[in-house]
Amino acid sequence: MNRADPRNWGIDQKLAFLALVLGFLALLGSPSPGGAVTINTRELADIVESEVDHVTVEELADWIIQGRSDYRLLDVRDPKSYAAYHIPTAESVELRNLSDYPLYRNEKIVLYSGGGIHSAQAWFLLRAEGFAGSYILLGGLNAWKEDILFPELPADATPDEVASFARRRTVSEFFGGKPRTGTGGTAGAAQPSEVAMPKVAPPSPVVAPHRHAHHHKEGC
Amino acid sequence: MMAPFYKYGLFGDEVSLILAALIGVGFGFFLEQAGFGSSKKLVAQFYLTDMAVFKVMFSAIVTAMLGLFYLSWAGLLDFSLVYVSPTFFWPDLVGGLVLGAGFIVGGFCPGTSVVGTATGRLDGLAFMGGVFGGIFVYGELYPWLADFANSTAMGRVTIDSWLGVSKGLVVFAVVVLAVLGFWGASAVERMMARREVEAGT
Repeated sequence: MNRADPRNWGIDQKLAFLALVLGFLALLGSPSPGGAVTINTRELADIVESEVDHVTVEELADWIIQGRSDYRLLDVRDPKSYAAYHIPTAESVELRNLSDYPLYRNEKIVLYSGGGIHSAQAWFLLRAEGFAGSYILLGGLNAWKEDILFPELPADATPDEVASFARRRTVSEFFGGKPRTGTGGTAGAAQPSEVAMPKVAPPSPVVAPHRHAHHHKEGC
Repeated sequence: MMAPFYKYGLFGDEVSLILAALIGVGFGFFLEQAGFGSSKKLVAQFYLTDMAVFKVMFSAIVTAMLGLFYLSWAGLLDFSLVYVSPTFFWPDLVGGLVLGAGFIVGGFCPGTSVVGTATGRLDGLAFMGGVFGGIFVYGELYPWLADFANSTAMGRVTIDSWLGVSKGLVVFAVVVLAVLGFWGASAVERMMARREVEAGT
């Protein structure tokens, strides 16, 4: 029997041949699609409209206090601003590096910038690339300062507001902020822009859950 | 429709557990069909008299690799969502050696011990007892081992990203390696069989 004749091959040889052919064809192409994507503008518009793409600063503060590690917090401002201050647990990524930044499509990704424009643009980039779990921090770092670091109790606060302010005070102090209480109103309560922006310390040893400790428990 | 279905939210936790059970039974069935319920067959691998373990495992690797590669090429699979165990260099190496030593001494690996037990082999049952005992002891010792177990973390590493070459090249190289390996394994088997005959056993 002539073993060189493919008609005489056993199943082993045939399978080995098939694997070699498929392996050789694999040399010709790459399965990664590169930078080109298709987006469903309708779907994106619906998401924007229904406002399910937001995380509020209060929610984020809770997550950080609880030490949750099931989200990624991305600071899309420039590295200099990031170095000056950033929300604890945040990672610095510039917009132009976003596509190459190691992120997984099943992660919950929260984006923030100073106000909200850059984070919204980053959100569109990520959504277009299929990162379905992308969210914008509502109000950005401004809201974080206003509501978390330096919350204000108006002088004419209702008892309810006073009660909830106790909690906000604790949260603020946790993040190294300074709660403000109204001064009685003769000269007008201090404006946020005057009092609220003392030098913001970089996050002290607050919680900063370690990224390394975050192992996926999956597989065998 | 894109895979992995679970991560794209096609079904929830409950369904995923049912599917996992079905896949597990299928896995066990094919291990049994390959003869891996018997510790004699498994250990023969280490004495080079029967290379079935090598052949079955390498066939599985090549099949899964070609499937993943071509499905993601066709746009049916998002490989970035496929779970790849994070690599911890030294802990992985030590763990592999411990598992290999246990394989030779006990005659099973964890999966095949379950197959052995399911087909009524008592050595399989004893091995499973050892597996669970070992898990318990490791769990109790973990506070002392944690530093080492988490050291040299490299994250999600694939051969192509590590070597900086294309996925296609790795696929081709692994297939060539497998075919050469099969050919070599059969040659080793024939040689060992001849030696046994010459030794008059």
